[in-house]
Amino acid sequence: MVKNFLIILISLILILLLGTVLYYFYIDFFKITNIFAKVGSSLILSFTTIIIIRYMLLLFFSILKIILKSSKNIDYRSISTDEKVTIIVPAFNEEKVIVTSIKSLINQTYPNIEILIVDDGSTDKTFLKAKEFEFENENKSLKVLTKPNGGKAKAINYGILHSTGSLIMVVDADSKLDKNAVLLMTRFFEDEDIAAVAGSVYVSNQTNIWTKLQALEYIEGLNMVRNGQAFLKLVNIIPGPIGMFRKKALFDVGLYDNDTYAEDCDLTLKLISKGYKIDFEPDAIAYTEAPENLLDLIKQRYRWTRGILQAINKHKSLLWNFKINPSATFTMWYMLFESVFWPFMDIWTNLFIIYFAFFSGYSILMFYWWSMFTILDVTGAIYCILVTGEKISLILYAIYYRLFFIQIINIAKILSTFEEWFNIEMSWEKLERKGNL
Amino acid sequence: MNILSFLAMLILVITIITLVFGLIAYFLYKTRESKKKKYNQKIHYEEVLNETGDKYIFFEE
Repeated sequence: MVKNFLIILISLILILLLGTVLYYFYIDFFKITNIFAKVGSSLILSFTTIIIIRYMLLLFFSILKIILKSSKNIDYRSISTDEKVTIIVPAFNEEKVIVTSIKSLINQTYPNIEILIVDDGSTDKTFLKAKEFEFENENKSLKVLTKPNGGKAKAINYGILHSTGSLIMVVDADSKLDKNAVLLMTRFFEDEDIAAVAGSVYVSNQTNIWTKLQALEYIEGLNMVRNGQAFLKLVNIIPGPIGMFRKKALFDVGLYDNDTYAEDCDLTLKLISKGYKIDFEPDAIAYTEAPENLLDLIKQRYRWTRGILQAINKHKSLLWNFKINPSATFTMWYMLFESVFWPFMDIWTNLFIIYFAFFSGYSILMFYWWSMFTILDVTGAIYCILVTGEKISLILYAIYYRLFFIQIINIAKILSTFEEWFNIEMSWEKLERKGNL
Repeated sequence: MNILSFLAMLILVITIITLVFGLIAYFLYKTRESKKKKYNQKIHYEEVLNETGDKYIFFEE
């Protein structure tokens, strides 16, 4: 109780501090006389204001969602277990992590489960290792299917076609689930409009600065944002490590397509465009192995950026479809903002401030820019740590996060966007697993 | 120099270094991937044959 009160108090102080910095930024802005600096600063100022509003709205919706959730006390025993859940694990060369993943699925508290491991033509011992766990009893079973290599989307579809459950859960082979994950997610499907539910993703290998920064990014950027989106039932990406779908809805949108590198984002857009609703369960947790070095991290973000842009391009008609499907249009613009506008604006602002500081000696803009976003990040981190129970030490990483991490990621996003724009051939191999799951 | 100006200068220098580092890292990643791609490229029998001057190669089991 005291801890919660302190955290809320610190967050309020930080929000006040943010307001103060923003106020001085506005005061200084009116003192600028150089027209070039005035135009540049007004762009930065308006963009900063948009970002702060977006951040505050997400935080507000996220808090509302949590208040609504805490008002309904969940009794685990009252959750219906009538619906059979088929868990599909597409696996290609996952011998280092597959056993940990399978064990976490077998240990699920939900009793009515069919587990299908789809070996996508692995050239290592994935198939053999998974095969050792095959079993079948009254309500639970585990089967290993194998097929020639054809990509993740085809492997999942293969699993869906062989499934007997009415609910389909897709889990990455490099992820392990919390024991109550399936149980908590199934209860959302009592609402007929819900087609899918996303879960929370945590980093399991917090071993160095890169993985710790990703851990912070996951809990803050992904979980807080998703919680906010879930208030509107418009979660825009169901993560690969943990997502549950209504089988009927999957068939309704034609299952997974393999024409983008972000099949999960593509599928989510297909569901939203058909008018389905997508929710989020923060307590259904998957732990995943994050890239442990910078080049692997860039490789992952390269795939994500190009994949999301491919999905946006595929559904671009939804961008101007506001009257027919406002939810889909809103989601598309939101995704475009996150994946293209924001990285470009961030890097452009940095370059503008550097240029301006060199030619006029006026460098305080950089302090305003950095401090406002760092305050936002620290506030977000404190809130998320309170909600998720992650390590408090992660708050300190919020400073490094804005100082260098996000810049490097944004540069990778911008260059990947150019490659996608100019249609440069994309080849992508999966990340090498370290086995730190 | 007051504390705010000092901090602004420090952040400015770190930002410049980070931007350069980010660019270098991206191109290092691209170089690594293209090297991997070359290494993993499958070669056709006919290409090997051309390289060896049309001399047939036999593989033992």
